[in-house]
Amino acid sequence: MFATLKVQLSLSRPYLTRNELQQAYKNTIPDRRSYMQRKLVIFKFMSDICVQFQFPRKTLETAFYYYQRYYVFNKFETEMCHTVATTALLLSCKQVETFKKINELCIVSFRLRNINNINQDIIENFKKRIFQVELRLLEACCFDYRVNNRIHIDEYIVKFGKHLGFTYELCHLSWVISYDILKTDLLLILPQHTIALAILKVAFELLKLKDWPVNDYEKFKTNNDSINEAYFGVLNYYINAFDSCNLKDHTSSKFPPVSLEVFMQLKANSSPETGLKDFTMKETEEDKYLTTARDFTQRERRYVLSSKFVKEENAIINAKKRKLK
Amino acid sequence: MLKNYQPFNKKKVSRLRTALNSCLKMANNDIDGTVIVSEYTKEKKVGEGTYAVVYLGTKQSTGRKIAIKEIKTSEFKDGLDMSAIREVKYLQEIQHVNVIELVDIFMAYDNLNLVLEFLPTDLEVIIKDKNILFTPADIKSWMLMTLRGVYHCHRNFIMHRDLKPNNLLLSPDGQIKVADFGLARAVPSPHESLTSNVVTRWYRAPELLFGANHYTSAIDIWSVGIIFAELMLRIPYLPGQNDLEQMDVTFRALGTPTDRDWPEVSTFSLYNKLQIYPPPSRDELRKRFIAASENALNFMCNMLTMNPVKRWTAAQCLESEYFKEIPPPSDPSSIKIKS
Repeated sequence: MFATLKVQLSLSRPYLTRNELQQAYKNTIPDRRSYMQRKLVIFKFMSDICVQFQFPRKTLETAFYYYQRYYVFNKFETEMCHTVATTALLLSCKQVETFKKINELCIVSFRLRNINNINQDIIENFKKRIFQVELRLLEACCFDYRVNNRIHIDEYIVKFGKHLGFTYELCHLSWVISYDILKTDLLLILPQHTIALAILKVAFELLKLKDWPVNDYEKFKTNNDSINEAYFGVLNYYINAFDSCNLKDHTSSKFPPVSLEVFMQLKANSSPETGLKDFTMKETEEDKYLTTARDFTQRERRYVLSSKFVKEENAIINAKKRKLK
Repeated sequence: MLKNYQPFNKKKVSRLRTALNSCLKMANNDIDGTVIVSEYTKEKKVGEGTYAVVYLGTKQSTGRKIAIKEIKTSEFKDGLDMSAIREVKYLQEIQHVNVIELVDIFMAYDNLNLVLEFLPTDLEVIIKDKNILFTPADIKSWMLMTLRGVYHCHRNFIMHRDLKPNNLLLSPDGQIKVADFGLARAVPSPHESLTSNVVTRWYRAPELLFGANHYTSAIDIWSVGIIFAELMLRIPYLPGQNDLEQMDVTFRALGTPTDRDWPEVSTFSLYNKLQIYPPPSRDELRKRFIAASENALNFMCNMLTMNPVKRWTAAQCLESEYFKEIPPPSDPSSIKIKS
């Protein structure tokens, strides 16, 4: 008789550092450039669906978190992208209470990809694939609903903006920036309130306002390192991808003129670049959470949110073990 | 920020695996001779709903009795059911002695399983079983526990939206646990539109009966008020046969609201079709609820106020004189609920 352990216990880690992400992508994304190109196409595709259904920004934000999170733990295949994206939107609609029937989502998903001549069989097959991906997606998130729950980046911008007495223009500019930032990895690294505050800071500086009013980030339940991570994340996005950003297309007279040079100047003024303390690549290489592919053949896959739970369980099992001896 | 999100602890998991391996000795043999360990066993099917099957089982490492809700993932035309998502989403957030505990979540054979604490009975069973006698002090104790659970939901900005005796479960030590968060949702922003098709009909607040597309946690308090009346009467208080009749039953018993005490209530499209009933006099209420004290009647009337803005909040209910007067609420563990 041989023994096989068929229980897997995973602790949720809803946010990962840049090096952790890089390590995980080694398993799942063989060609990073192709992934990035595809990501922009998918972001446009998801945005278009949201426009069609008049979904609020939070639906897109949550969906894009799901889409990106999926590829941290599942292999990236170009032909599956649209299925994953449609699934991410379906799940996001359920999460943020903007529910849509799956049939409607599928039809729009096909139409936006110019796939005509669809019949019920094609839709049914697509739905089956979506249902499979939906569960994998939830497993990639460890069924952790603490993320993307309640308040989202755009809502935080309005709430923080009001609290800090910022003008409508500043908040509007931040709101436009926050759309661009959804395309970055920041959603996987930091919670929404931190990203929102960092975006407000960038907009504040773009408008050439003086004396940023927030000194104590603890009051906003965040800290300097996290804000810096998000702040430089925003600046680096515009420096690296200014040509494809949406901000440059907003030429309202109320908005300041933006260019690559403006963002480079902001970065130069704020240097040296700082952020979250990261693990070394060597440390991440030893982290099986990132290096081992998820085993979906395990009979029982448990997902827990708190390390306290793992500790308690460990104590119980150790006590049992002692008894057995 | 990230220090709160501890990395997957390799040493601990490795120790856990070793320990689990030792437990294999006690496990059952599979057909192929492979030893299998499952942390949870499903021993008896106890119920089946539209989206889930409920089993009684045991958590192997502790021997704790638990209930497992197996979500039927394949049978839904829109993927994983909203009820399952809501249940996980809100129960993950709430930990309170008067709210059912979500013990664990696991996937097995591509089915989602929610592990919940085992609760052997509910208030509906107790109300219906005429062999069980309970006292005003027992009712007070159940109301106190229910309101504590509801208050905890509301202060976390969660509306339950389906409070009824059937969803107030009782633990072996007599604690009431608010359960079934399949219809729950976050308290909406001022501009958000919501469906009014929530809450089981007999426990539906007047604003929902009118089809309001925006409402607050006050709808839960109305349901608690109706449950309180039902506990005193031991029959459903406002049993409408359909939605239209529910309005008639509700307003005949408690009076049709007017613009005077609920400004602009007459702007609801359904309002014009209503028959106008006067509110019940205090004497009529006393006759209907013979055993109720004046404070108990005040408590009920304030939960059953037509205007949701004027209706008591969970905090106001908990501070009611009803809970301060004699008899004091029974000790939950001392309430005999076996017939």
